[in-house]
Amino acid sequence: MNCVVEISDVWKRFPMRRDRPGFKEFIVNLPKFAKRNSNSYFWALKGVSFKVEKGECLGIIGENGAGKSTLLSLILGNVFPTRGRVSVSEKITPLLELGAGFHPDLTGRENVLINGVLLGLTKNEVMEKIGDIIAFSEISDFINLPVRTYSSGMYLRLAFSVAIHMDPKLLLIDEILAVGDETFQKKSREALLRLIKGGMTTILVSHNLSAIKEICTRAIWLDEGFIKAEGEPEEVVEKYKGHIE
Amino acid sequence: MEIGFNLNSREFRRKRDLLWLLTKKEVTLKYKRTFLGIFWSLLNPILLTLILFIAFKIFMRIQMENYTFFLLAALFPWNWFSASITMSTGALIGNVNLIKKIRFPRHFLILSTILGQFVNFIFALPIIIGFSYFYGKGPGINWFLSIPILMAIQFTVTIGICLAISMVNAYFRDMEYLIGVVVSMLFWMTPIIYPLNIVPEEYRTFLILNPLTYLITAWRDLFMSNAIDWGNIGISFGSSLIFLFCGIFIFQRLGKRLDEVI
Repeated sequence: MNCVVEISDVWKRFPMRRDRPGFKEFIVNLPKFAKRNSNSYFWALKGVSFKVEKGECLGIIGENGAGKSTLLSLILGNVFPTRGRVSVSEKITPLLELGAGFHPDLTGRENVLINGVLLGLTKNEVMEKIGDIIAFSEISDFINLPVRTYSSGMYLRLAFSVAIHMDPKLLLIDEILAVGDETFQKKSREALLRLIKGGMTTILVSHNLSAIKEICTRAIWLDEGFIKAEGEPEEVVEKYKGHIE
Repeated sequence: MEIGFNLNSREFRRKRDLLWLLTKKEVTLKYKRTFLGIFWSLLNPILLTLILFIAFKIFMRIQMENYTFFLLAALFPWNWFSASITMSTGALIGNVNLIKKIRFPRHFLILSTILGQFVNFIFALPIIIGFSYFYGKGPGINWFLSIPILMAIQFTVTIGICLAISMVNAYFRDMEYLIGVVVSMLFWMTPIIYPLNIVPEEYRTFLILNPLTYLITAWRDLFMSNAIDWGNIGISFGSSLIFLFCGIFIFQRLGKRLDEVI
């Protein structure tokens, strides 16, 4: 088995100032900034280590503010660890926020193209898939209209459709398992499950505990920046449930 | 900021596509819901030229032939520079969603802004060529040599400055206001609406310290009199490299903690 993601003793802190200082405050308080005091930090992750093997689906559960999303951002590489090491050996397809790169004034087609390239394909590769993407999203004629004219359901359907057509090798999911109305929810959920069950490495953050039990091969319970439990999804979910009740 | 050396690798093609699409987005979005579209990019400097012409040639009676051409030859390059600066100040903080949720080279946001403004500059070239035929010596062989060089220099200096200010602006939003003042100050402190030799000797040092002086003068010499001053070009090139290295340094250094402040 080869390791796709390796997190070793990762710590991450955020500055806790409510308002970031302006330039004036910065100059005035320069001496203070030089020796910043450690109380003004919030530690989101406190020494987290784990590995994800190829083909695994890892579920991450925990209360709000436990560090789940920070962990995903670290794996994605948009956030650097304060201490420790994160290594990832596959192309990542993030499903953290649908339509993150969409611009309301561009048409659906233009947005699909830009989003596809942002998510890791070349322009030609997106062009080859654009038919499938549009067909899956069931947007049909609206595809050549600016996305600001879309209903929120249409918007999500198109964004979801782009994301799952990206040939993901390592999929990071933050709460997005299904979108749209009931018919499309079923369809999108099935498409995603097919990808995951088909042996794609996945890291899934969710509050939907039954989904974690159903989909994941392993689970981690994060609590205040520590790993509280790790192992079989059933067991981890039970421990977590015991804790919150 | 890694540079791909294998020009045919998939990753290189993807990055090229990405930069192309982001630039296209920049250009199309700017005028998407306007009536005159891309012509606004020409109208802006032309109207400014008109105003400056009225103020300085008609009201203040500056003694100079071809003052309109004199203004245009400097205003188009200046416009590329100043619009890039102003627009890229918010390029990072205006794309929080992209930066937080998708992984891609962040400096592309700044490069595409500058490239978008560069397209406007290209659109302006025919106007300059027209003026050159009527009021100057006409475009000569020097143009083919000099235009790419000057473009490269201006790209270099603009990229350096834009990288730095877009990143600093994420930490101190004051940058946005500061840039507004600094850009208009630079406008008057660069020989755009007046020639360098009109400035009294004792104050000329201030302008000589401004690296834009050489670049703008080099553009104007080329457009108006088909001349290449290698001294000017050399100084602009040297200072542009300094700006680029500082810009890259600041962008990379502060970029590591961008997620904490944005």
